[in-house]
Amino acid sequence: MHKDDQMTPLERLGAFMTGKPMDRLLAIPVTCSMSGLASGMTHKEKRATGSNEAQAQIDCYKRFGNDLLITEYGLHGVGVALGSVLTDPEDSVPAIVNYALEDLSQVDTLDASKLLLNNDKKFQMHIEATEILVEKMGHEVPTGVLISGPFTAAASIFKTENLLRATRKDKENLHKLIHFCNENLKVIYREFIKRGAMILMCDPIASGTILNRKQYQEFVLPYTIDLVKDIHDAGGMVCYHICGDTTTIVNDMVESGCDMLSIDNRVDLNHAKREAASKVPILGNVDPVEVMYLGTPEDVERSVKECLQKGYDCENGYILATGCDLAGNLPLENIDAFMAAARTYGKWPLDPKNFK
Amino acid sequence: MTQAKDELLKKLSDGVLEMEEDIVIESANAYLEAGYPVLDGVLHGLVDGMNRASVLFDEEEYFVTDVLLCSDAMYEGLNILRPHLPAEEVEKEKPKGVIGVVEGDTHDIGKNLVKIMLETAGFEMHDLGRDVPLQSFVNKAKEVNADLVCLSTLMTTTMGGMETVINLLKDEGIRENMKVIVGGGPISQKFADMIGADGYSVNAVEAVKLSKSLLSLA
Repeated sequence: MHKDDQMTPLERLGAFMTGKPMDRLLAIPVTCSMSGLASGMTHKEKRATGSNEAQAQIDCYKRFGNDLLITEYGLHGVGVALGSVLTDPEDSVPAIVNYALEDLSQVDTLDASKLLLNNDKKFQMHIEATEILVEKMGHEVPTGVLISGPFTAAASIFKTENLLRATRKDKENLHKLIHFCNENLKVIYREFIKRGAMILMCDPIASGTILNRKQYQEFVLPYTIDLVKDIHDAGGMVCYHICGDTTTIVNDMVESGCDMLSIDNRVDLNHAKREAASKVPILGNVDPVEVMYLGTPEDVERSVKECLQKGYDCENGYILATGCDLAGNLPLENIDAFMAAARTYGKWPLDPKNFK
Repeated sequence: MTQAKDELLKKLSDGVLEMEEDIVIESANAYLEAGYPVLDGVLHGLVDGMNRASVLFDEEEYFVTDVLLCSDAMYEGLNILRPHLPAEEVEKEKPKGVIGVVEGDTHDIGKNLVKIMLETAGFEMHDLGRDVPLQSFVNKAKEVNADLVCLSTLMTTTMGGMETVINLLKDEGIRENMKVIVGGGPISQKFADMIGADGYSVNAVEAVKLSKSLLSLA
């Protein structure tokens, strides 16, 4: 346990879920892409093996005492297993350079067997990382897996720009593609759930910055509802995140049946509270770039206070988190400051006087 | 029967706005056959439609998909009309822009929208594509004598490349000859100021307004 805490993250989560008192607010800086920094690894080294991936999480936890360990099947995993090609940069996040599917009418040729654990080396690596974390740390801190939702999985196979065109011009094949992703994600999610990981479903390509609400309701929500149901059938828990501006779809996102909702900094936490707090706990939304990456520890402290002012009275609970994954060579002191502020201002019982 | 010029211009404009490629192609061919001035067809037909689309985008009536499909229709029309533009029009000096997604990033929808909007607004755009080596921006800017350099990224980890481009432009001694604007998911006015860019805009329509104001164009 972190020296400044009185409960382990697992005890804290248990108290949160059952409405019991805890030592402080749950705090989840999303230390995924950049986690290697805590072990002195580059992004690339952290991505290289399952044990590196796990070690980076353990070292983050040792330093920060953050409430969730995160392994990364990632946003591109489905596409890469099917033949999309990624960059492999030293100190940055990979990006897709070639897509597995050039022509949407060829969607029926996609080979689902490539996505199975037995056949996908990267998948095996992330499962190994998950197993290490659950085995070594599971008595103290929960593990989640950051993994794509259906629309983003589709965008890892077929170029986003053409995916958008297909929402008007080739709905039939687009639905086939998303359905294909959804059915395979179910199988993939279950492998992680079986090993005790919580699903952190991220669907950034379904962002309100890219899709309008009608497209979301037609091409994303029905699949997500189906997927969440399967997660629950498998005994799993899911936190649902979409990057960017999701102001107009916060309500729809909750309809997915997700257990928690995570919002990016482009959404006003007050708006999310009004729309969703009566149904699910809300995570958010310290700006991962302007505050965590470019800001100072003082900026972080101020931002945490602002989030608490807005979020502390969410009916189903509030979890302090960054609006999105942390990436790049950001100053680790900012994550220290994030956790310190969570301990100071989020001390239980939450009292608005403490974070005025 | 030959259709009236105004009628065809309206069809071109509406065809772009309503994302009807077939109507645009048919109307562009009819417009050519009737022998009307090609430049009017481009500006008062196709570009007019795209401008109307950008107003709807600004009003959040149209989204990314709509603008993409409108531009697809516009480019179909341009492919037909452009080869017939009078030589003096083709050679006419336009403000020149270099645009690309900085090295390490391949997300290019935002960049493409900005390029479309700037082209529509009368810029001659040189698109370097995505995952562009930083020096390439400088080389291209020098080669075409650019007035504007537009840098885009969606990824936090590649933001730093924008500052490098600005420094490379300084090293070449050409930074003051052009305006540099930045945009993309993680970018903000604060970041633009930090790295010494001339401006930041939140979306493609704003990027046009910003570019015009920076270059003092009407």
